[in-house]
Amino acid sequence: MEHSRSSRRRFLASAAAAPLVLTGCNVPGFSSRPEGDDDTIVLWYWNRSIDPQLFRDFEEAHPGVTVNDQLVGGDYASRFNTTLAGQAFVPDVVALNNDISRYFPDADQFVDLYEMGAEEDRHLYLDWKWKAGETLDGRLIGYPMDTGPLALYYRHDFFEQAGLPTEPDDVTAQFAEWEDYFEAGLELQQALPGVRMMDNVPYIYLMTLMQAQEFYVNRDQVYVGDGESVRRAWDVALQAYGMDLAARVNPFTPDWSAGVSESSFASFVGAVWMKQFLLESGNNVAGTWRVAQTPGGPGNQGGSFIGITKYARNKELCFELIRTIMSPESQVRMYKSLSLFPSAIDALEDPVMSEPEDFFGGQPTAEQFVTTAKELEPFYFSPAYPIAHGIFNQEITDVVLGGAPEDVAWDEAQKQAKRELQHKAPWVKWEEAS
Amino acid sequence: MDNTYDTAQRKSLSWSGLVLNALLVLGVLVSIFPFYWLIVMATRTNEDIFAYPPKLLPGPHLLDNVQRMLDSINFWGSFANTAIVASLSAVLTMFLASLSGFTFAKFRFPGRNLLFILILATMMVPSQLSTVPSFVIMANIGWVGTLQALIVPGLAGAFGIFWMRQYATAAIPNDLIDAGRLDGCNHFQLYTNVALPLLRPALAFLGIFTFINSWNDYLWPLVVLINPDRITLQVALAQLQGLYQTDYALVMAGTLMATIPLIVIFILGSKHFIGNIAAGAVKS
Amino acid sequence: MGVHTVAAPPEAPASTIQTPTRSGWERWRDRYLGIYLSISPFFIIFAIFGLFPIAFALYIAFQQWNGIGDMTFVGLDQFRYLVTDPLFRKSILVTIQIWIISTVPLGLAFLLNQAMRFRMTYRVAFFLPNVTSLVAIAIIFSSIFGNQFGLLNAGLQGIGAERIAWLNEPWGIKVAIAAMVVWRWTGYNAIIYLAGLQAIPDDLYEAAKVDGATQWNLFKDITVPLLRPVILFTLITSSIGGLQLFTEPQILVGNTGGPNNEGLTMVLYLYQQAFVQNQFGYGAAIGWGLFAIIVLFSIANYLIVGRRSDNG
Repeated sequence: MEHSRSSRRRFLASAAAAPLVLTGCNVPGFSSRPEGDDDTIVLWYWNRSIDPQLFRDFEEAHPGVTVNDQLVGGDYASRFNTTLAGQAFVPDVVALNNDISRYFPDADQFVDLYEMGAEEDRHLYLDWKWKAGETLDGRLIGYPMDTGPLALYYRHDFFEQAGLPTEPDDVTAQFAEWEDYFEAGLELQQALPGVRMMDNVPYIYLMTLMQAQEFYVNRDQVYVGDGESVRRAWDVALQAYGMDLAARVNPFTPDWSAGVSESSFASFVGAVWMKQFLLESGNNVAGTWRVAQTPGGPGNQGGSFIGITKYARNKELCFELIRTIMSPESQVRMYKSLSLFPSAIDALEDPVMSEPEDFFGGQPTAEQFVTTAKELEPFYFSPAYPIAHGIFNQEITDVVLGGAPEDVAWDEAQKQAKRELQHKAPWVKWEEAS
Repeated sequence: MDNTYDTAQRKSLSWSGLVLNALLVLGVLVSIFPFYWLIVMATRTNEDIFAYPPKLLPGPHLLDNVQRMLDSINFWGSFANTAIVASLSAVLTMFLASLSGFTFAKFRFPGRNLLFILILATMMVPSQLSTVPSFVIMANIGWVGTLQALIVPGLAGAFGIFWMRQYATAAIPNDLIDAGRLDGCNHFQLYTNVALPLLRPALAFLGIFTFINSWNDYLWPLVVLINPDRITLQVALAQLQGLYQTDYALVMAGTLMATIPLIVIFILGSKHFIGNIAAGAVKS
Repeated sequence: MGVHTVAAPPEAPASTIQTPTRSGWERWRDRYLGIYLSISPFFIIFAIFGLFPIAFALYIAFQQWNGIGDMTFVGLDQFRYLVTDPLFRKSILVTIQIWIISTVPLGLAFLLNQAMRFRMTYRVAFFLPNVTSLVAIAIIFSSIFGNQFGLLNAGLQGIGAERIAWLNEPWGIKVAIAAMVVWRWTGYNAIIYLAGLQAIPDDLYEAAKVDGATQWNLFKDITVPLLRPVILFTLITSSIGGLQLFTEPQILVGNTGGPNNEGLTMVLYLYQQAFVQNQFGYGAAIGWGLFAIIVLFSIANYLIVGRRSDNG
């Protein structure tokens, strides 16, 4: 009896003490401190946003340093946000998407790269891209990665048959405005029954929107969802809808791929990274596509940034890593390996950008994208963008696919946006239109 | 006590008895079937699983599937984490709930009723109400992504203390306590020498109950274990399913491996468990 | 009863014993210190991880917050939004619909226990669904209810019927989830009913039979009323459990609740808003909404089942 009693007590005592002891030590499982030391960099990125070979090269160049690169799938931004909220296992270096400004209100979670001496590198990169990584009060939280300049991809053989210009420069000149492009679309559809001018309408809404500098909420945090940029994109899209110019296939779907290989549409507006999808789907029509400037002016969709979080243990090393993998030379490498379009000016002027591409009948299409990239102006995505855009995109899809009346949809979008933004983005200011 | 049993026996020979017995057998089959189907899927290839007509018997591919599964996720790591969390949760809960339950049951002290009502009041509140604030609390004390975040909050469960108090009230005679007092025992000694031996059956139940619930817990580990290298079995299983959706053979192999331990433990401990659940339900 | 009164040393005039005078503190200490020390670990943990979160949940629900940085105080806005949020209403509807579908077969448990013999195998078999992890069950059932290649569709094909895309259909999703719930709890409830049944003294039955009661009378007038507390218990536990469904829909149809949010239960909505959309303030508000619904439901259950007029 004595024996079992005391052994029971010892058991109880140690059971009670165990978790406390384990919390103190850095025992895996019981500690929220990340493993590794000052010479390890934990980096988050998503698939195909960075060429991992660059990490290995960095490790080689810096013996003793380990880059623990982690591919994060699923909802990247949401995961990152939750990790920041959890204040545990936050990566040292993190890739950020084009809507980097959604992090501006929480800029204190990141290292101000100007404090690391980033100003020296400013001249290496496109100005609008550099500015996009800067918060409204001048902190640099995102170093430029890749960009997504838009272009008009078109079937030059179909254009020829329809009596439209076929050379990229001529096409660019002819389609200065969206209306010109749509007019030509009517002509083409008449000359080539069974072929539509473009792939779908809702995407045109996005493309036109991306030609603007501000979207639903401007830099002063005033709601402008009923303002010029949105209205223009809305009207342009509906014009295309009214003229019935779309094949109704959405990008990133098997239907779209089929549309390419079956030649259901003669052109589409897309970012430089759409090239990859086109190549994958269009084996049988290689040589027929060309690239020109977008109607209505230059635009950009996508592109990324890379930043250092305040939790980074060795900030200098992290900054060194960023500068290395985003140097003009590295960006050229990533263009070659992953088709990531550079943001570094020297990279844009690299000879590889003038290489002819077989798929495009020998046209060096990169030149078109370089032209666009150099013409772009700085833009601003408010943290409210994802919410607002979701609503407007849904409404215009309802019109185009569901036949909802246009003005009703517009009012609905405004109403919904107001409701959602007042709930999820209460800092947004609402000025009553006079 | 036997009477319903006799009635049941007599009934079983009648027509209605036959129907009811058939129902019973059907009930058992239905309860077991998904496990059987799990075994079938875990031991076959995907072609077999998606074939029509479906193959209904287990196949020979268990080891292949398990091997592939082990290569795809950190199974043993999450298994270990789960085992640690469940065991510690069970032991610590048994300790805390019995100590506190015993104290509430057998002693009067200022604030006793108030404190107990406080516990009862929180029983009405759904645990998910606390999910968001608990996460924030964990973030601020540096426990996000740790195993103690899974263990510690559950130690103050209302059920455990309730259960032990019920049992202690009934099972510990006051004379024993008085005797202990006279022997010069302090409160804690009363607990270890007098109460614990008498509370054993209730402790066994509570331990198994807590172990099972901790093993199966999903929402809270999903929320708080943000490091994908350090998760529990349920979260790992959910991830497996999310990543390899159509690779049924793989996912089912993982599910089978994750489920077997608990079934074994349950079957071994079932006599402590089942009787108590029923009795508890009837008493309340 | 008063245990400690026995143990206190007597201040009796027994003159031979020189007991040192003890201060009030020392007396208090002897009486209560052990007690308070014993319950303090529990209550400290309870205060930090049980009580405080509830109060904190209220505080957070008055804020707009993404979990990082500063909170923005928005007063009752989150609650105002909550009561007009069509998606929240949908989640309530979905949750209740699933609950209804899964509660109707409660009678099954009743039937089962009528024939139940005492064999351990039955009890183990009936309990097994209840102790298996929800994730595992959801994975298995999602394969059975698969959109194209599941077992159910194979069965349908076998009898010449059309395959159903279970997890794309509003009712398909709910039936699949309800099936899991029914499967999980029927055996368990049957065992509980059996225990309750055994607690009914047989004399009551004997006496009634002597009075000429039929089987139906016995059932209606004795069994049901005396089982009512047990029925209430299972109903309330199933309600509260059913209203908190999360794992099944999340594994089956994902964080958005599937096509048209037809599988979006309240807790799934809470998780989605707080940890996918990073709306911590709104997530907390949804938690309060959940609480309110549970309270309403429990009251309704009690009123309907618990206080039906006594029959005998």
